Amino acid sequence: MASRANPPEAMNVNSDARSRPPPRAIAWHRSTWFETIQFAVLMTLLLLLILKGANSMGYQWKWDKVPQYIYRVIDGELIWGPLMKGLFVTLDIAWWAGLIAMAIGLVAALLRLSGSIVGSAISWSYVELIRNTPILVQMLIFYFIIAAVLGIPRQWAGILCLAFYEGAFTAEIIRGGIVAVRKGQREAAQSLGFSGFYMYRDIILPQAVPLMLPPLGGIIVNLVKHSSIVSVIAVFDLTTQARTVVSDTFMAFEIWLTAAAMYLVLTITLSIGVAWLERRYRTA
Amino acid sequence: MSARTSTVRPRWTWLDAALIAVVVIFFGFLFWRAGSVFSYKWNWSSVLPFIYRFDADAGKWVPNLLMEGLLTTIRLALWGILFAGVIGIVMGLARTSKRLFFRLIGTFYVMLIRNIPPVVFVFVFVFFIASQIMPTLALGDRVQALPPQAQQWISVFFGSPKLIDNFLLGLIALSVFSGAYVTEIVRAGIESVPRSQIEAGDSLGFSKRDVMRFVVLPQAMRNVLPPMAGQLIQLIKDSSLVSLVSIQELTFMAQDVQVSTQRVFEVFVLIAAIYFVICFSLSQLFGYLERRYARASR
Repeated sequence: MASRANPPEAMNVNSDARSRPPPRAIAWHRSTWFETIQFAVLMTLLLLLILKGANSMGYQWKWDKVPQYIYRVIDGELIWGPLMKGLFVTLDIAWWAGLIAMAIGLVAALLRLSGSIVGSAISWSYVELIRNTPILVQMLIFYFIIAAVLGIPRQWAGILCLAFYEGAFTAEIIRGGIVAVRKGQREAAQSLGFSGFYMYRDIILPQAVPLMLPPLGGIIVNLVKHSSIVSVIAVFDLTTQARTVVSDTFMAFEIWLTAAAMYLVLTITLSIGVAWLERRYRTA
Repeated sequence: MSARTSTVRPRWTWLDAALIAVVVIFFGFLFWRAGSVFSYKWNWSSVLPFIYRFDADAGKWVPNLLMEGLLTTIRLALWGILFAGVIGIVMGLARTSKRLFFRLIGTFYVMLIRNIPPVVFVFVFVFFIASQIMPTLALGDRVQALPPQAQQWISVFFGSPKLIDNFLLGLIALSVFSGAYVTEIVRAGIESVPRSQIEAGDSLGFSKRDVMRFVVLPQAMRNVLPPMAGQLIQLIKDSSLVSLVSIQELTFMAQDVQVSTQRVFEVFVLIAAIYFVICFSLSQLFGYLERRYARASR
């Protein structure tokens, strides 16, 4: 049916170019390049505003002093500055916390999906406990109480707290992925003689895992972001190092902007990877 | 058909017994170690006075540190969701705008906030605002110059006039931070309105702006409410982060109390319980309301 949204010509793909209406010309002030320039101008104005504010409080910009905190070349040898060292610690924490979180999430999801009453209760209460308390409070409890009582070293206390935090969300994602596989698949598998482990391995998981991958990628991005919370227990990650350098040198703006930029590079790279995953596994 | 979370009918098996044994052993071990190695003496009564104390001069119960921190948290959450909602709607409209200029602004804002760690954002933003905007506004002095009646009113909604600078700092930081997430919620809400609605509005002669105002936004807002409720709960949790920049909310007060009484366990477990009760009951309430209105609209 022809309407304003579907002009009759467009429905006939082989129609002559003459019978199609000419493409509407975009006014120059709405064109892509002009809009982009407007945006660039706005950003520059904001930047100038910030600079003006900084100068009005007598702030001395010392951008030339920043690179030494990232790296130094002494006698031809590359030595990483405190910010890079902090970045390595952040990556280390995120990596270990990610692995443990996946394991915890898997166990919690399986407990919840099993028929066990106690297992279901444990898993449910774990997830609700983590989801309804702030991560800062969890970190404080973990470090001051659990790690102190069990004698866990500082960095591992941070890693474990982070792992338990993200593990709750991972558990929900895994559980959601498995539950999303249609019941008919399960019934068909059972009627064909598949059971238990083999049903999961050959029928359920191959369908559930592609659903889970994009949110799990999101978990990894969240891990890197939330890893900064370990700075409250003085683990020397990027945030703590930034605070230390700022308190030593008072170059608050430059150092914080550099640290934020480093985090941004990290998370945006990971986000692009997640977006690629989402595109790849999109259920059309 | 109700969604069943377990794929098997629940029943008691050997696994239950094993799990109960594991849990009991684990917590027993924890308490034993806390008692023996740590020689921790439990003392809840030393912490409770920090919630409410009996002021002999005034002759009544006065909120003490923890209660005041809790009230600040609630104020931060309520005002925060309001301002974040405003920012989110504006930026959400920008992100779904036809003009690239607005889309770039909205996308830049969301990408920036969502990819920076919350801790880093709080430090940077609060440092920036505290050094730049707060001195120019000088709200603290202005509020204290107001008549006592107005100050009484302000203290109910914003907290003590002496701390209003502090409070506003945390509020602005939280609003800007949550605004990015609200923007995404609003964007999803607007995009969820079917195209046919817009086309129908067009065909009835509505202008572009009227289509937005009378057709799209009312339906979008209905879709936006459930995630916004979730964002309120998230905001209550995120408010604990501003304790890192000395905003006097619950977590900050708890650390204060913990340092002065050395009652690490009682204080932190108490505030974890407070946060849990608030967030859990809110999420159950919102879930109930959602189900009720879903039934009603059919």
